[in-house]
Amino acid sequence: MTNKKPILLVGDNPFHGISHLSQEHSRNRNTEIKNVEYASDLVIKSLENGAGGFMFTVSDTTLSILKEMKKKRRDSQLELYAIVPYASEYVRLATQLGGIMGIAKKIGKEMITSLNFGAIARSIKGISLLDVEDLMKAYLLYEMSKIKSAVGKQTNLVSVILHEIITEMALALDWDWLFKAYIDFVSKHGIKPGFETRNFAFFVKKFKTWDMDCRKILVTTPFNKIGFQMNPSKLECEKALNMVSDFEIIAMSVLAAGYLKPAEAIKYVKSLPNISGVVLGVSREKHARESFKLLRAAFET
Amino acid sequence: MKFGELMKILKDVPLKVGIIGLGKMGLLHASILSALGNVRVLGLCEKSRVMRRLSKKFFKGAEVVDDISELSGLGIDAVYVTTPIPSHFSIVTRIFSERIARNWFVEKTLASNYVEAKQLCEMAKCSHGIAMVGYMKRFAVTFRKAKDLIDSQVLGDLVSFDAYAYSSDFAEIKETPKISGARGGVLGDLGSHIVDLAFWFFGSLTLDSAKIGSRGAAGSEDKAIFCVSQADLKGNFSVSWCETQYRMPEFGFIIRGTNGILSVNDDVLEIKLKKGQSERLFRHDLNDNVDFLLGAPEYYREDHHFVRSIIDDTMVESDFISASKVDDLLGQIKNRAEYF
Repeated sequence: MTNKKPILLVGDNPFHGISHLSQEHSRNRNTEIKNVEYASDLVIKSLENGAGGFMFTVSDTTLSILKEMKKKRRDSQLELYAIVPYASEYVRLATQLGGIMGIAKKIGKEMITSLNFGAIARSIKGISLLDVEDLMKAYLLYEMSKIKSAVGKQTNLVSVILHEIITEMALALDWDWLFKAYIDFVSKHGIKPGFETRNFAFFVKKFKTWDMDCRKILVTTPFNKIGFQMNPSKLECEKALNMVSDFEIIAMSVLAAGYLKPAEAIKYVKSLPNISGVVLGVSREKHARESFKLLRAAFET
Repeated sequence: MKFGELMKILKDVPLKVGIIGLGKMGLLHASILSALGNVRVLGLCEKSRVMRRLSKKFFKGAEVVDDISELSGLGIDAVYVTTPIPSHFSIVTRIFSERIARNWFVEKTLASNYVEAKQLCEMAKCSHGIAMVGYMKRFAVTFRKAKDLIDSQVLGDLVSFDAYAYSSDFAEIKETPKISGARGGVLGDLGSHIVDLAFWFFGSLTLDSAKIGSRGAAGSEDKAIFCVSQADLKGNFSVSWCETQYRMPEFGFIIRGTNGILSVNDDVLEIKLKKGQSERLFRHDLNDNVDFLLGAPEYYREDHHFVRSIIDDTMVESDFISASKVDDLLGQIKNRAEYF
């Protein structure tokens, strides 16, 4: 861990019905988890027991949870870490709407009707010139405006994080221009640019090759005792971690999707260098209470 | 120069790949192939003008064209066909007749019907290259483990199995849209994977009965139930893309043998033997890491396997012949099914 105050975040996977252990595990969860009021109570309970913020994929579900929380917590500014786009939903929409062009039309229509004039202007420019950077900026403005309209003017949007599917594609295809444009654009809005990846060693190698300024960025990536989703291997990811004291790294999948017990999982993550924080999803009040108390106690000693 | 040295040099030369169809599967394969050190994506073919213009920015150094013929002359070693199923036959026929490349990867299903699939098998034979179909479930660690256990006869003589393929893709839509036909209906889209796995596990199977369910006026195929057999082995399949709570498509089997029972799906494998031993293995337990993860680890393994088969000139998993058998069974189901 770094010497700074640890960033402990509650994640949203259970609210979307996601379990990386198995889909069956997700189906067997309590049915209340998809209830917005129940989910917002879980986030609040996590915050009361040591979590410092909420990391979520921007979707109708999470925006409803934020609205509900706003009603219940008028006193404080919640730290938000937003992941965009909600890729799995777009993949499903591609199936229903006839591929990538079908999704593009749908998003374009939503952006035009969003009444966010910055997004509209950029999307018109982007579409007319087919300029990828302008289209990306228009899309980011649109997503940020959705968060602001859910939470209100006092939004404390700490980081906007590029979803792993886009991050991995951009890494594979050497889109250094996209990373640079993304970092510049998000930074200009006073927000920390972030990246979600399950190819951490590859990510670090590329960023070093491109000579990117990594002091500005946040990375959320799996770190767990059994090396689950740490590609290409646990050892390579740990080696890469040693090389990146300038990144802000939030460890995810620390429990390996419920495969590990919290105590052993936390012990491993705490032993790693250069980790700034942890994100953890919870599906029951008991989990929220116990897990975040344990995390807070571990990282503050 | 010794033959071995020549082979080493040839293996160090990047494999040049072309991709036809830049939908989500085309982009996925292009990305994974680009992450493999010994591959260069050199040519892209896409009908949509917008996608072509965007691709010129996305794929630096690659030719982006709108007609397959324009890929010839690029010296391409292998072609990926990731267009809708109804176009596979005509596209592969052109790749073959215009000698664009010797090695072919076609996203499943191989063709729209068995007649076309058989013709493509003949072309593959004449082409003397590697011809593979994207049945990526064979590269999932849980199904590979199941295959090992079945082959090693841990279950004894196989008696029966139940197989399913479910997704929620159209669960919340009242009427399945017409575009679902381009995916081959539920049988082509989901059923093909589970049938391919069944052939891989058990060998050839004979169709005994079939039912297909449709929800829409457009005559869409939304659900299918069919029964197969092979000597004393009986199997039941259930396929649907209208199930609730299947956020991601899920494929699974329960297999019964004289020694015990094995259940397996994309995430977990469980075996219970009559002598009392039992084991439950998640992906976590089966070394699921890959050099580059995008979508799911099986996509990487599938592409890596195809590329290695070309470079090493070795047999490929899920070749055209085995894929044509899937098309054959799916055709029989459609011809013989009662509709409900």
